[in-house]
Amino acid sequence: MKSIASRTYFSLVLACILLFGVLTFAIRYFLYADRWVSFTGSPHVYTNGRLDTGEIVDRSGEVLYSSHSKQLYADSAKTRKATLHLMGDRAGNIPPRILRAYASKLFGYDKLNGTAAMELSGGELRLTVSAQVQAIAQQAMKGRKGAVGVYNYRTGEILCALSSPTFDPLDPPDLEKDNADGRYDGVYIYRFFHAAYTPGSIFKLTTLAAALDVDPGLADETFTCTGERIINGERITCPKAHGEESLQDALANSCNCAFSEIALRAGKEALSAQAEAIRIGDNLKFDGITTVRGNFDLSDAEDNDVAWAGIGQYTDLINPCQYMIYMGAIANGGRAAEPFLVAMTECGGRQTYAAEMAETPKMISAQAAKLLRGLMRQNVRKMYGAVEIPGVEVCAKSGTAQVGADANTATFAGFLDSADYPLAFIVVVEEGGAGSATCAPIARAVLEGCINVLDGER
Amino acid sequence: MELLLDFFRGPDGITLLSVYHAVLRLSLPILALFIVIRSARSLLGFRREPEVWAWLRLATGELLPVTHWENLLGRKKNADIVLDFATVSKNHAVLTRLDDGGWTVTDIGAKGRLEVNGNRVLSGRVDYGDKISLGGLEMVLEPVSRQEARLQANSRTKAGKGNSPGLTLLLLTVFQLLVVLELVFNRTEDRMTILTAYGILLGTQWAMFIGQKLLKRSGFEVETVAFFLMSIGLGICASANPGEMYKQLIAMGVGILIFLVLGFCLRDLETAKRVRFLAAIAGVLLFLANIVFGRSVYGSRNWIYLGGFSFQPSEFVKICFILAGASTMERIVTRRNLWSFVIYTAFIGGCLVIINDFGSAAIFFVGFFAIALLRSSSYPNAILIVVGVGMLAVLVTAAALAIRHFPHVANRFAGYGHIWEDSFNKGYQQTRSLMCIAAGGLFGLGLGNGWMQYMAGAGASDTDLVFAYVSEEWGLLMAVMMIFALAMLGLFVVRSAKVARSSFYTIGASAAMSILLVQSVLNVFGTVDFLPLTGVTFPFVSNGGSSLMSCWGLLAFIKACDTRQNASFAVKLSDEGGGKS
Repeated sequence: MKSIASRTYFSLVLACILLFGVLTFAIRYFLYADRWVSFTGSPHVYTNGRLDTGEIVDRSGEVLYSSHSKQLYADSAKTRKATLHLMGDRAGNIPPRILRAYASKLFGYDKLNGTAAMELSGGELRLTVSAQVQAIAQQAMKGRKGAVGVYNYRTGEILCALSSPTFDPLDPPDLEKDNADGRYDGVYIYRFFHAAYTPGSIFKLTTLAAALDVDPGLADETFTCTGERIINGERITCPKAHGEESLQDALANSCNCAFSEIALRAGKEALSAQAEAIRIGDNLKFDGITTVRGNFDLSDAEDNDVAWAGIGQYTDLINPCQYMIYMGAIANGGRAAEPFLVAMTECGGRQTYAAEMAETPKMISAQAAKLLRGLMRQNVRKMYGAVEIPGVEVCAKSGTAQVGADANTATFAGFLDSADYPLAFIVVVEEGGAGSATCAPIARAVLEGCINVLDGER
Repeated sequence: MELLLDFFRGPDGITLLSVYHAVLRLSLPILALFIVIRSARSLLGFRREPEVWAWLRLATGELLPVTHWENLLGRKKNADIVLDFATVSKNHAVLTRLDDGGWTVTDIGAKGRLEVNGNRVLSGRVDYGDKISLGGLEMVLEPVSRQEARLQANSRTKAGKGNSPGLTLLLLTVFQLLVVLELVFNRTEDRMTILTAYGILLGTQWAMFIGQKLLKRSGFEVETVAFFLMSIGLGICASANPGEMYKQLIAMGVGILIFLVLGFCLRDLETAKRVRFLAAIAGVLLFLANIVFGRSVYGSRNWIYLGGFSFQPSEFVKICFILAGASTMERIVTRRNLWSFVIYTAFIGGCLVIINDFGSAAIFFVGFFAIALLRSSSYPNAILIVVGVGMLAVLVTAAALAIRHFPHVANRFAGYGHIWEDSFNKGYQQTRSLMCIAAGGLFGLGLGNGWMQYMAGAGASDTDLVFAYVSEEWGLLMAVMMIFALAMLGLFVVRSAKVARSSFYTIGASAAMSILLVQSVLNVFGTVDFLPLTGVTFPFVSNGGSSLMSCWGLLAFIKACDTRQNASFAVKLSDEGGGKS
């Protein structure tokens, strides 16, 4: 009997499997129940196929989305186009990521009471984005493809996160017919968060930070540019011979010869470490958005490849949002605020979510940041007059990334060195020609728009 | 604080009605917890000191206690009576106590070296004072004195002591009344049906309780757990389809009848063995009828329609299967009826392939595994291992056939683990389940207030997905409580095994419990996407007549292993430890 009795433990094993499963499920419930309840088609929160969440407003209170209105989206076509990628479209080609992430907070779902005490008319979600600035950016892009982003590097609020091209969600294009000229190519992609671009010369800010980390004395050196350098039998050229130049000049001239040398002096290890510090290979997750990973991989690189990688070519890829944060970190002395899109949600007159500020890890040493701030300020003074805004110190670097035989991606990234307007920005225009010429006017228009909005809030 | 206020909030804010419903929602899980805890304390709290049924006096004068009804005598360490002498075999003999208080001894590995009073025996009766010789080692069987017996009886824990089953049943009654109070509010049009149905449930459980009191039996916890689960099941029925409540009650009546008849048959082993033969034949006939008359529902041909009634034969075969597999120790070690069990298993396996019922195949496999595991405890049994592998092959074949021939089964397997990616098609049932569980919160939306009711019947929300249904309307806490109740019964079976009368009961209870538990595992895990959906019912809760009847039948085996003093009607009364029955 003894041995038989001991084998009844089999029932106990089954009971334990059952209990363990239920425990696991209970944990999953507390982690994910709010996602389940607001998933598309959930019978408790969807009426007639629509999530009755209430309203989404921009930072000024302008309604961008309302589940109560028949047309769902903003009244003006201009705003609808400018906020398309934030709100999603009706067909679901662009998912309403923010709405989905906060749906349960909007109708006041809680895991204790379930939907029993839910506010059936929904609540309000306030974005950090300004519809006005989005519209300015959208118009400035003039239908070209790319992304424009601005954020407050002290608080983390994203004021502008535009993806272009766009369309009016109430009058969506028929891609079969309307895209003969390719103007809607990739229109469903939220480029600011979900595209990765070859950075071109704006990557020199990363290379320089890495090199300064290895050799701080670099700041006082001079470089000689003959217009070309041969590394490992490969030619790296500048548009002209820049001659003797200080580091300041080398950056302002965006001298490839000087920066190929700087990249090699920094070395693979420091370059990779700096790329890691600015999180190029990571994807950020916030407010229902997961940014796409960039790329910086020198594992098989020869010296010529390292040189190209240092000037933002080779296999380098950056995500605009990610790189904008790095601009914020330079401006802010090494660390910036983590970005976010949703300021708060409320339901039934009570706050159900409020954004909390978080700081990024250290992306650059305070010393190097200070140096780069000065260099980037000088850049604007000397080269990018088009982005100068009276009364504000604009700091920036442009880039013209070669992505094909005659296709260039124009990039422009920087920040305002200003306590009143602590804004970092990035502009990317695909097939945009020369970086600063294309992007500086866009950046200026958008930054002025932001300054206006911030002034209005004071 | 605001969460607390929300608890009392209704669609129109905090009103008298909303507070009323909130209090009900809160009371139900608390009462359920008390019911489960009280039953658990009563079932699990008894002391299990070994009882001495007789003594074996060695020539040296040493006294060895005989502490089981079935005792393995031998040299090996985990024998019940260890005789560490070179002349004794590892497994030498089995000493068995009979229902009438007499004893028999059986040669199991002695190869003729077993003698009673100098006569060589293979199996024979032993009276007190008889001299037994195991390979030359002599010992005398001596009775327990009346005084010792009385002392033992007195020290034995009485069932229900400190946790009166009557009070637990009273708590359950309050629970049921609150359920009715909530249901009549939310289902006004079916008020009369609901009142009548719960009235019948209440009447039945109290009649059974009083009946057992009259039989001088004091344990009612196992039944209380079943009635507790049934109260929830009936509430689901009232919410999903009140018309089916009577059908459920009729099934309950038949089920209880099976429970009682089986329980009485299990009182003594001789009757049980006779019933077993009949049951085995009934099982064969049921499956044959199934194959001939069976109708296909969702791919499995596991339903029979008979003059307006429909039932699933495989549900009843579970009971027959356990009866066929259970066996006493001397038969296990002499491998008697092993072949009949093996053939029976093979037959069932074959039928399941023809019927193409993957869910049942999985359940039978676990039942078989439980039986085989216990039966091979004294001897590693090659035959059982081979049959086990065969059963597994059946299981895989059934699954493969089902996936190949029935798109809905293939969909279930394809959707498994990816339910959110195809939430309107392959993952429909599970995603709706998770949405509804989330919507229910910890305390539920109120009985009859859920959405799962629109998925009852063909959508299987009241059967395969009942865990989600209960979570949505009764709250996740209540759904977890159902699991606790079943797991607690499992623990009870394991603890009882140590003081079991015969391996027959241990095997029966363990196999029955394993089947109930694996059904719960498949049901709950399928609903929440831990496993593919297999379309298995949750014991006592899921809507379904055959399933409910079969659950009551399985419960009889669990009831029969309750050896607390005078607890179970399925065990004969005894007032003294070793005395006559």
